[in-house]
Amino acid sequence: MIDIVGIIAEDFLNILLITLGGMLIALGVHLVPVGGAPAAMAQATGVGTGTVQLAAGAGLTGLVTAGFMMNVTESMALIIASGTIGAMIMISVTMIVGQWMYVYGVGCPPASAKVKYDPITKDRQDLYVSQGTEGHGIPTASFISGVIGAGLGGLGGSLIYYSLLSIENGLPEANFIGIASIFAIGLFFVNAVIPSYNIGGTIEGFHDPKFKKFPKAVLASFVATFLAAIMGVVAIGGM
Amino acid sequence: MEPLTGMGVMALIGAAATIAGASEDLESDVGSQSNPNSQVQLAPQMMYPHRIFNKAISGEPPSNALICAIGGTIASVLISSGASAVLALTIGAILAATVHGTYSVTSYLGRSASQKRFKQPIYLDIVRSHVPVMMGYAFITTFCILVVAYLMTTVLEHPFSLPLLAFIWGITVGAIGSSTGDVHYGAEREFQNVEFGSGLNAANSGNIVRKAESGLRNGIDNSWFCAKFGGPATGIAFGMTVFLSGWITVVFDASQSDALGWASIIAGAIIVLLLIIWNRNIEVAARNAYGPYKQDEEAEVAA
Amino acid sequence: MSAGGGGGGAHEAIPQNKLIAFGVIGGLVGIYAAYFLVDIIGPSMSFLGALGAICSIVWGASAVRRVANYGLGTGVPSIGMLALGIGVIATTFGLAVGGIAGPLVALVFASLIGLVVGMLGNKVLNMGIPIMVQSTTEIAAAGALTIVGLSTSMIGTFMFFDEIVNGVVVAQGVASGVMTTGYIAVIFIAGGLAILHPYNANLGPDEKQDRTLACAFEKGAIAMILAGIVATITPFASGSITILIGIAIWYVSFSGYYKRVKRDAFMVTGSGLLPSKEELE
Repeated sequence: MIDIVGIIAEDFLNILLITLGGMLIALGVHLVPVGGAPAAMAQATGVGTGTVQLAAGAGLTGLVTAGFMMNVTESMALIIASGTIGAMIMISVTMIVGQWMYVYGVGCPPASAKVKYDPITKDRQDLYVSQGTEGHGIPTASFISGVIGAGLGGLGGSLIYYSLLSIENGLPEANFIGIASIFAIGLFFVNAVIPSYNIGGTIEGFHDPKFKKFPKAVLASFVATFLAAIMGVVAIGGM
Repeated sequence: MEPLTGMGVMALIGAAATIAGASEDLESDVGSQSNPNSQVQLAPQMMYPHRIFNKAISGEPPSNALICAIGGTIASVLISSGASAVLALTIGAILAATVHGTYSVTSYLGRSASQKRFKQPIYLDIVRSHVPVMMGYAFITTFCILVVAYLMTTVLEHPFSLPLLAFIWGITVGAIGSSTGDVHYGAEREFQNVEFGSGLNAANSGNIVRKAESGLRNGIDNSWFCAKFGGPATGIAFGMTVFLSGWITVVFDASQSDALGWASIIAGAIIVLLLIIWNRNIEVAARNAYGPYKQDEEAEVAA
Repeated sequence: MSAGGGGGGAHEAIPQNKLIAFGVIGGLVGIYAAYFLVDIIGPSMSFLGALGAICSIVWGASAVRRVANYGLGTGVPSIGMLALGIGVIATTFGLAVGGIAGPLVALVFASLIGLVVGMLGNKVLNMGIPIMVQSTTEIAAAGALTIVGLSTSMIGTFMFFDEIVNGVVVAQGVASGVMTTGYIAVIFIAGGLAILHPYNANLGPDEKQDRTLACAFEKGAIAMILAGIVATITPFASGSITILIGIAIWYVSFSGYYKRVKRDAFMVTGSGLLPSKEELE
C-alpha cells in the first residue's frame, strides 16, 4: 500500500507548483482573444474558434517544446521558458494567418467593438466596425493580449509537466514521462474549460470588460487543480 | 545529432506539416465543420434548406486529434510487431480515415434528421459523393501528421510516444484550421451574396448561398473556392508553427549547453516580436486601404 | 460551435436514473469480469472490459445530452474534454492507489472532482444550470469508467503496476502497458468523442433520445475495435475476439441508427431539388 500522507508531505512543493500551473492556465485563457462561432463569420473580434480549443492548441504546442527541452537539460527555468515560447509562437502564427483571412480574404480591417480606442495603439476602433457586427479581426491590443495569454498557458502547462517529472519515486524519468504528459494534458483541459465557462463564448483580451471576471475562474481552478494535483503526486510518487 | 541532419529533418517536418494543414482545412470545408457550420445548421430554420454537408464532429481539434491518435496508435502497434514504418503509417492513416468516415456519416444523417420540422431533406448522393472526399483529405492529414510525429520521436528523440505526439499535433492542427482557414469559408464563401468587404451582418444570419455556378451548391464547391486561399494559408500556419517551434531548438541545441538553450528562447521571442510588428503593419495597411465604415459624427458636429 | 439547445429539459423516453444504473453497473461488471475471467479462463475474455466501457459511454452520452440541451455557451465539446480530463486524472490516481479496488476508487474520485467542478461552475462562475452539478459528476464518472474499461480490454488487467516475479515481468500493468506507450491518447480521445459526438451529431429541435443513444453504441463499438487492435500485441489480452465483437456491435448499432434516422427525417432521398416554397409553408 502506498504511504499517501508521506508522499503528500514530501512533495508538497510539487503540489503547490502544479496548482500554480493550473491557475496560470486559467488566467491565460482569459487573455486569448476568441470570438467563438461569430468570429468565423467576421461577426466578432478575435480568433474564430472556441476558447478551449485554441488554448489547448497553444498550450499543448508548448508542452511539446517543453518536453523536448526537458529531455536535454536539467534547468527548470529553461524548460518552463521553452514551453512558454512554444505556445507563444503557435498563437502568434495562428493569429497572423487569421488576420490575413480577415484582411485579404474577407476584406475588413481589424476592429474592436468593446473599446472606442485601442488601448495600445490609440487607434479609433468604432468607425471601423462594419454594420451589424461586434467587430472583426485581431487589433494590436488583442494580438498582444493573446501572445501573453498563450505564454501563460504554456508556462502553466510546462510547470505542471516539470513538477510531475521531478517527483522522486526511485524510477528513471523515462518510465513515467507517459503518465506525466497525459496527466498534464488532462489538467490542461480541465483548466481550459473552467475559464471558458466564465467567459461564455467570446472575449477580446485584457481590455474586454469580461476580463475583470478572471479572479472567479482562477479561484475555481485553484480548488479543482489542488485536488487533482494531490492525486497526481500520489499516483506518480507511489510508483 | 549532426546539425545538418537536424536541419534536413526539420525541413521535411515543416513540409509535411504544411500539407497536413492545407488538407485539414479543405476537409473541414467539404464537410462544413466547426464554427462556420453554425450557419449551415441555422439555414433550414430560416427557411433556407440546402444541399451542403453538415458535419459536426465535436469541434475540429478533437476530431483531428481523434484521427491522428488512431493513426498513431495503429502505426505504433504495427511498428512494434515488426512492420516497416512507411507501411505502418499508411495503414494507420487509412484506418483513421475510415473511422472519420463513420463519424462524418452519423453527423450528417443525425443533424439533418433532427431538423425535420424545418423540412431539411437527407440527400444520399451528398453522403456518397462527400464522404470519400473527406476520407481522402483525412488520410492526407493523418499521414502527414504521423510523418511529423514519427520523425520527431525517432530522429529528434522527442520523449513523448508516437500516439501521444500525433494526438497533440492533431489538437493543434484542428485549432489552427478552425482559427484561420475556416474564416475564409465562414465569412466569405458562405455569404458571397452580400457585398465584399465587411463582416456578416447579424440580420443576414442563416442566409447562406445555396446555388452554385452550376446547380445547387454543395461542400465540394466550397472546397474549390477555399483551396484558393483558406486552405494553403492554413497549411502555412501549421507548417510555420511546427517548423518554428522545432527550429529554434535544433539551431540552438540546448543539449550542448544551457547558454545555447537560452539563445533558442531569445530566438523564439524575436520571432514572436516580428510577428507582432507584422500584424501591426497589416492592421495599419488595412485601415488605410479600406477606410472607416461610417463618418465620425462627433468630428462633424465640432466642425 | 453550433447553437446549443433551446433550453429546458430534454425529453427522455428512458429515464436518466436507469441509464446511470446501466452505466455504473454495466461498466463495473464488465471491468471486473474481464479482470477475473482473464485470470481464470484466459486472455480471450479481455473483450468484457470494452463492453463495460460501452455501457459507460452510453451513460455519458446521455448525460451530455441532458446538460448540453441547456446551452452551455461554449459548445458541446468543452464539457466532454473537461470530463475526460478529470477522468484521466482520477483513473491514474484510482488505479495507482486502489489495487483491486482501483476502478471503484477511480469512479469515486472522478465523481468527486466532477462534483466540485460542477459546484464551482454554478456557485463561483454563476452558470445557473440546474443540472450542472449532477451532469458534470456523471460525465466525469462515465469518462473514468470508459478509460478503465478500454485499458483493461487492451492489456487484460487494470492493475497499475507490472507484476514482477524474480525480476521477470509476468504481467504488464496500466502504467507501462497503456500510459508509457501512449495508447492512453487514443483511449482519451476515442472514449471522449464517443461520449460527446452522439448528442453533438444529433443536435437539433427534433433530436430523439433513442437515436442519440444508438449513435453512442456505434461510437463505443469503434472505441472497442481500437482497443482490440492494441490488444493484438499485448500478451494478456486477446485482440481478435474484441475486434470481431466490436464489428458486430458496430454493424447492429449502425443499422439501428440508420433505421431511426429514416424514421425521424423529413425525407431521405437519393437525390433531388430543395423543397419548394409551397412545401416550406
